[in-house]
Amino acid sequence: MSADPFLADPFVEPRAINGRAPDVFKPGAWLEMSQYDDNDEVDFVVVGTGAGGGPLIARLAEQGFSVVGFDAGAYFRPLEDFASDEIEQQKLYWLDERIIDGANPIRMGGKNSGKAVGGSTVHFAMVSLRFRPEWFKSRSQLGYGADWPLDWREMWDYYRRAEKALSISGPVNYPWGPHRPRYPYRAHELNGAAEILARGAEAMGYKWTATPLATVSAPHGDSPPCVYRGFCRFGCSTNAKQSQLVTFIPRGIAAGAEIRDLAMVGRIDTGPDGRATGVHYHRQGRWRFQKARNIIVAGYAIETPRLLLASANDRYPDGLANSSGLVGKNLMTQANQAVFGVMDQEVRWNKGPPSLSITEHWNYNDNKDFHGGYCWMAQGPLPVEWASIVTGSRKRWGAPLREEMMRYNHQVGLKMVGEMLPDERNRVTLTDEVDQYGLRIPRITYSWGENDKALIQHALGEMHRSMELVGAKDIFRQEDDTNHLAGTAKMGSDARDSVVNADCRSWDIPNLWICDGSIFPTTGGVNPSLTITAISLRTADRIKALANRGEL
Amino acid sequence: MTNTRPTGDVATAFALISGATVLGGIALALRKPNAPADRAQTTVRSARRLNRAAGTLAASVLVDSAIEHYRGNFHNKAMITPLVTASLSLAASLHGTADGRGEAHIIRDLIYAGAGLTGLVGTGFHIYNISKKPGRLSWQNLFYSAPLGAPAAISLSGMLGFLSERLRDNPPNKPPTILGIPAGRIIGAMTSLGLMGTVGESGLLHFRGAYHNPAMYLPVTMPPVAAALLGASALGKSHTHRPITRWWLRATALLGFAGTAFHAAGVGRSMGGWKNWRQNLVDGPPIPAPPSFTGLALAGLAALALLEDHPDD
Repeated sequence: MSADPFLADPFVEPRAINGRAPDVFKPGAWLEMSQYDDNDEVDFVVVGTGAGGGPLIARLAEQGFSVVGFDAGAYFRPLEDFASDEIEQQKLYWLDERIIDGANPIRMGGKNSGKAVGGSTVHFAMVSLRFRPEWFKSRSQLGYGADWPLDWREMWDYYRRAEKALSISGPVNYPWGPHRPRYPYRAHELNGAAEILARGAEAMGYKWTATPLATVSAPHGDSPPCVYRGFCRFGCSTNAKQSQLVTFIPRGIAAGAEIRDLAMVGRIDTGPDGRATGVHYHRQGRWRFQKARNIIVAGYAIETPRLLLASANDRYPDGLANSSGLVGKNLMTQANQAVFGVMDQEVRWNKGPPSLSITEHWNYNDNKDFHGGYCWMAQGPLPVEWASIVTGSRKRWGAPLREEMMRYNHQVGLKMVGEMLPDERNRVTLTDEVDQYGLRIPRITYSWGENDKALIQHALGEMHRSMELVGAKDIFRQEDDTNHLAGTAKMGSDARDSVVNADCRSWDIPNLWICDGSIFPTTGGVNPSLTITAISLRTADRIKALANRGEL
Repeated sequence: MTNTRPTGDVATAFALISGATVLGGIALALRKPNAPADRAQTTVRSARRLNRAAGTLAASVLVDSAIEHYRGNFHNKAMITPLVTASLSLAASLHGTADGRGEAHIIRDLIYAGAGLTGLVGTGFHIYNISKKPGRLSWQNLFYSAPLGAPAAISLSGMLGFLSERLRDNPPNKPPTILGIPAGRIIGAMTSLGLMGTVGESGLLHFRGAYHNPAMYLPVTMPPVAAALLGASALGKSHTHRPITRWWLRATALLGFAGTAFHAAGVGRSMGGWKNWRQNLVDGPPIPAPPSFTGLALAGLAALALLEDHPDD
């Protein structure tokens, strides 16, 4: 440990050790933290501290369970560690080696994964949307995908709790779907880019609204209101963003949970009775083993199946919780295509959170010839990201690239989040190559289906029309982007065609749980984080109820 | 349980403000009663009190519009107007507060009438600004576009000053009237309406702030009661002694100053706190806004005094 831990590099030595963890709200300050011995059989080990793991760590600890949360990433202090620099802040992404293939390989990194205490919520765009109720019964009500074993009315209540816990700033009235209670905080002021989305939507006769965001518009606890720097997707350096790192994680620590940063879980062991017994994890240069009565895997759609598959043993030769053969299968992403243009007037689209306005028109309108829905939001890529779009998607180099960049403050764009359908051929498997921990590297195979392509083309046409209607010039379509992930450990009501039940409990191993985006049977046309958080809160309640009945 | 742990400095600040407000209230209560002079003097005294109220409002508008329009970069030349009219109204009010003569002053009259008009024109500008925004008259635009209610504050200052001048126009030794109506009643009624308008404005903006601090409910609960009590006095019997109305108005006047302190603490909760004052003074809660309540409560007290000094039934 360095002489001055306050200045220490978060990647060199773990910060959450010796009975204390960083206080993210005060430079140099520490929180007292419980610390368990590897030989203590803790009630719960939670692998991953993001939108799935974070709420479980906090809620289970608050209910009196002993909990240890593991994260492979660093424990950042946003006030001290975050620079206003796009390249430096890539330290928040999960950029470990993976092999990607398929017809439409998924580019891994900032758009879909995070490696930090708090997971990808540390750099997510904060867009906090509810599913359309019918999506929980896509198969029976809309004719595609699969049904969830959850009732939307129950989810509506957990969405409310998630919105409260994350102090979501949203519009006074939400224009689509059944009534929802008022958001805890008011929506943020629109920036230039968001206003142009609104004008386009109004010209098309579509409803639009300010986007519900997980960054506060007024003080909350030690979080100051958002100051609209626009670096949200590179880590919020003011703590206005309600990431897991500043919400559920400190709650969990206050309630007695232990967080272990820079701790990569590589394998789950099972005992002679077939139950999970603990996790092997790599920390401070060596492999250790933490005993646990229950294990919750919350590593998201790549790392979760990777861990389950890598834990294969004589009793479970195909990997844990995999009697259905579905672990790793049905990987989904979300379409993230965009249409960009140039306005005569200055827009300064990088000011404020990037997605301040939204239209969910095509999530709630079924008058279309493909399955699934999509929304689109205002955009504000920062200069480096914008340059990579202009070079990568538009193939502009040299003088044309320079000219393009000179128009940065006049640039405007719309970006979709679209529902891609589950397909068993899209999957995560293990290769024989190993990474820095000596763990097998995942192979990520992904191809769009015909329905996915139809949805994307429809969305591009609609966004293009919207851009034309507001008078944007030099319009171009970015056709190659994807973002959020889902699937690979499907939730269902039948052990034969799903990995976990409605309580996120694996069918095969009663003390092994999976709670993150990988349990999604379908992914819907909205950003998934709020749904993950809501399911995580529900799972915590269910665990408590089961414990009370002696059914853990 | 959520992350609402008290932020040390801020919690201390709120405690200090609350304590200071209570002490201020006690100090007010222990003041020696100001015995009424002869009846002619009571009218002028009320007029001067109204000048003082108009001046308090004008000062609030001056500083508030200076900060807010600076934030708006004075991108429209007309945005300088409230600074000019509020300064003039403040000067006229200072002059009027010091002026013990029982007759209206033509320059003050012109300034106050001008201030009243400026507020109306400003409201028009602000409505026009909102009508250009997508979403038109939506919560979003009411929160963040040019505030509909703000220009009304300079109108109120002008109105109080103008009423003060009308009060001075009355012949001595006769109960003062305005437009034939007993002056206390008309001033009380207008002030009561002004209070309700100001409550609307602070209610809207505190709603935007999600009432994140319980103290934010005070300006939408205390002043409406003051407005109701004052309205009842203006419309009801004038003979009655109204200690509750008087004390409630005094408390409302105090609230205006306490609000300024609360807003100052609020500025300290923004990123960088007071060290970053150049940004947070502009983006945080408006420090000069709450004394509008003080101005109106002072006018209400003047009206109450007129009602008690010149019973008309």
